[in-house]
Amino acid sequence: MHRWRVVFSRAWGFLHKGRLDDQLQEELQAHLDQLTEENIRNGMSGEDARAAALCEFGGVEQTKEIYRQQRGLPFLDVALQDLRFALRGLVKRPGFTIAAVLTLMLGIGAATAVFSVVDRILFRSLPYPHDDRLVSFGLLAPIERDEFTLGAGYIDFRKELGPFEAITSMAPGTTDCDITEQHPVRLNCALVEQTFLPTFGTEPLLGRNFTADEDRKDAPLVAILSYGLWKSRFGGNPDVLRKTISLDGKTAQIIGVLPARFEMPTLRSADILIPLALDEAQQRKTAPGAVLRTFARLKPGVDVRQAIAGLQPWFELAISGAPPEFRKEIHLSVRPLRERQTSDARLASWILLGAVFAVLLVACTNVANLLLARATVRERELAVRAALGASRGRLARQSLTESLLLGLLGGAAGCGLAIILIRVFVSIAPEGIPRLQQAGLDVRVGAFALLVTIAAALIFGVAPALYRPSTEIMMGKEQIGARRGGSLRQILVVAEIAISIVLLASAGPLLRSLWKLQNAPTGMETENVLTEQISLGSYNYKEATQQFAFFTDLEARLKRFPGVTSVALSDSIPPAGQMRSTILAAVEVASKPALAEGTGGPVGWRAVTPDYFRALAIPIIAGRGFRGEDRLPGENPIILGDTLARELFPGESAVGKQVRLFKTPDGPWRTVVGVAANVKNDGLVTNGDPEFYLPWKNDPLINLRAGYVIVRTRMNPKSVASWMRSETASLDATLPVSIETMSQRVGKLTERPRFNAMLLCLFASIAVLLAAVGIYGVIGFLVVERTREIGVRLALGATPQSILKMVMSSVARCTIVGAMLGLLGAWFCTRLLESLLFEVRAHDPVMFGLAIFALVAVAICAAWVPARRAMRVDPMIALRYG
Amino acid sequence: MKPAHGEVLQGTLDLMVLKTLEAMGPLHGYGIAQRIQQVSKDLLKLNQGTLYPALLRLEQRGWVRSKFGVSENNRKARYYSLTAAGRRQLKTEAARWERMAGVITGMLAGTEGA
Repeated sequence: MHRWRVVFSRAWGFLHKGRLDDQLQEELQAHLDQLTEENIRNGMSGEDARAAALCEFGGVEQTKEIYRQQRGLPFLDVALQDLRFALRGLVKRPGFTIAAVLTLMLGIGAATAVFSVVDRILFRSLPYPHDDRLVSFGLLAPIERDEFTLGAGYIDFRKELGPFEAITSMAPGTTDCDITEQHPVRLNCALVEQTFLPTFGTEPLLGRNFTADEDRKDAPLVAILSYGLWKSRFGGNPDVLRKTISLDGKTAQIIGVLPARFEMPTLRSADILIPLALDEAQQRKTAPGAVLRTFARLKPGVDVRQAIAGLQPWFELAISGAPPEFRKEIHLSVRPLRERQTSDARLASWILLGAVFAVLLVACTNVANLLLARATVRERELAVRAALGASRGRLARQSLTESLLLGLLGGAAGCGLAIILIRVFVSIAPEGIPRLQQAGLDVRVGAFALLVTIAAALIFGVAPALYRPSTEIMMGKEQIGARRGGSLRQILVVAEIAISIVLLASAGPLLRSLWKLQNAPTGMETENVLTEQISLGSYNYKEATQQFAFFTDLEARLKRFPGVTSVALSDSIPPAGQMRSTILAAVEVASKPALAEGTGGPVGWRAVTPDYFRALAIPIIAGRGFRGEDRLPGENPIILGDTLARELFPGESAVGKQVRLFKTPDGPWRTVVGVAANVKNDGLVTNGDPEFYLPWKNDPLINLRAGYVIVRTRMNPKSVASWMRSETASLDATLPVSIETMSQRVGKLTERPRFNAMLLCLFASIAVLLAAVGIYGVIGFLVVERTREIGVRLALGATPQSILKMVMSSVARCTIVGAMLGLLGAWFCTRLLESLLFEVRAHDPVMFGLAIFALVAVAICAAWVPARRAMRVDPMIALRYG
Repeated sequence: MKPAHGEVLQGTLDLMVLKTLEAMGPLHGYGIAQRIQQVSKDLLKLNQGTLYPALLRLEQRGWVRSKFGVSENNRKARYYSLTAAGRRQLKTEAARWERMAGVITGMLAGTEGA
């Protein structure tokens, strides 16, 4: 118990040092005075009495010292003393300090900024309690990359949960829904089951969740608002629970508000949750039923593998209801929610994190080099301190304090840099990096920065701390030539070179792949083409005829504009995916047997007007394109993409053949009127799926509610865009539209790889820059140190060229060893990049060669200046004053 | 620095101080030193300076408390006095010391007898 008393009392003593010192002085003085008086009383003279008193007392200063150590917190006293000393040292050498702090700022700032971005992808828990037990489960099919289940199967499964504690489902994606009262707006509505919020462990901020009765067909409509919508539309007023909104013309009672930090498991933004109202009878009737996204919470202690095993019986049952051609290609899948959300961003995140740590390591090596160089300069001072009795531990501690102070300064500057970098990342980053908008410098990222700073300080501080001054220097025995510590510094340079090469060799293939990707042929001409995306509200445009009328009206208006060469309508546009999709097995060819088994893989299709091929300059390689009359109701033409034509009619001409689509026995036979050249229709990386085109017309098969207007023009796209906007507004002023040039649309597809390549290049160049500075510093220092030796050599007849050779050869040694290590590292690291590359091999000898060449060039340049200085050493001056 | 003359061991100095304060009541450092010398009949060579760290230690543990007062010769002086906890501590320490002394005495007697 009295331990705490002692600690408290020591802390008190530490804080009130001055006053307590005075008191102690007074007390001891009084004691001495009394002793002296006593001695005088016993007959001694004044002088003797005082001397005897001091003798009896036994060392006033020692007593004080022991007393002070006992009273305060001696380690803290020493730390403060070290700190003061370190601070003085840093202020005294502003050049060194600024160089070290800037270097650290680059390293720590970059690391912190990247961490704040990838933290949310890789580490930070999702905003649901026990998020590690949340999974996405269901089926995976060739045409669907995320888990789904089908309505009827889901209803069966819902009855017994198997390995799950809770399961829930929602409609895929979000649907547009309009608030149709005053100030109408277009919103995203998510249709979710009543179990949705409980499964994710989320309670509404206000109000309540749906009840089971409300999650039924024909139940009165209820809605839960997102926090954002509540704030923006209802001013955060809690009275909102008594209000109704009219959604697509239907009145919905507001029953709850979601908490601010809630997000959809699909990471899409949703403004309103409304009940999914899955109707069992209807799902059974239309079996297999509607496509659903399904999520679950695992029972405690159950892992993903056990869950898959537990789901097997259900899976057998579920696929028995699926169309036979699908069965073989469907898999069961259970994935942790985080993996579903961040699947393709994870690898890039790890790579960026690795790169930025490599940069930090180079920065640390540089600072270690600076500190070591300084330690050599301060050798005399350190030797004096050692000779005066400073223990080795004490000197090491002093040196570490300095490193830590330096680190903290660099870390603080780094945090500033990180804030700027995060802003830059957010502004230049492409869409689809999960949770990027939330990245920022919060407590967690701050703690990371502090941790990294301390770790960095230990890394770069340990070598100088172990540096031991030789006491020989006190005896005037100065060595000629390089002193100890030189080899350690060269090792550090080797490390810098190696890391830089790894980074360069990794950034290279990414850049090259980006270049290839940007120049990859898309199968169309994207210059001078404008696209306008339009999605009609289901309330204002209920009937297909209304939707059809809108688009044809707009088409006619746009055609009138001078300078417009062609105007086309389509329900989707390449090269981004999102086209409608079926399977090869669903395309029947007249007088040919159906596909033996399997789905044959996905086949995409879109509905287009005749001008589509002209607007995008997609060549028709056989037959003809669509004509105006193909848009008439009775006509059933079809145009095949080249790949699909070859698959369906190998070795013969497709034109004039008959096909029937979508497995509809009573559907029309369609005549192939033409074959169009392939275009990329699923991003730039893959060649895409085979595809076919149907004429865009008023047909139940074709989605007329949302589509694209494609305009090819000879004029300035900007002015055409504003004119398109005004033409659209004159038809319907409330309609939200987005107009982009086709080049912008294609450019978006390279944004992710560009972002990755750009960051990696940035980090690689920082590393190379730091390495160059490091080499310059070390060689420069080497030359200064060896000035006397060089002077002797020159005096004994060495030529300046041989001196140059001597200096450069030490650079060459470091570079060669560094390059070899770097190559080895690059060999392992670039393999990780493989899946991010497009038409470029990770182990690309050209790239490796370029990386080495670049670094050798940088090393030679960095060493050149100090090496020249070495050549010009004047032996007289060197020997006299060196 | 260790206590210069090995004669006074740390534990024993604490015990002596506590006992002195019990016997004499509140006392300043000089007084305690004089009293210890006097009781030991000058056999003990107390290095008087070591008294102060010892007093601080005892105070930190809550066995002694100090207060500023005025000494006999009208000087400001720090008076130390025993706390209740100090009294208890003195008792246990004294008991332990006696046990120890008894053991050692017995042992020495035994050795002589052999």
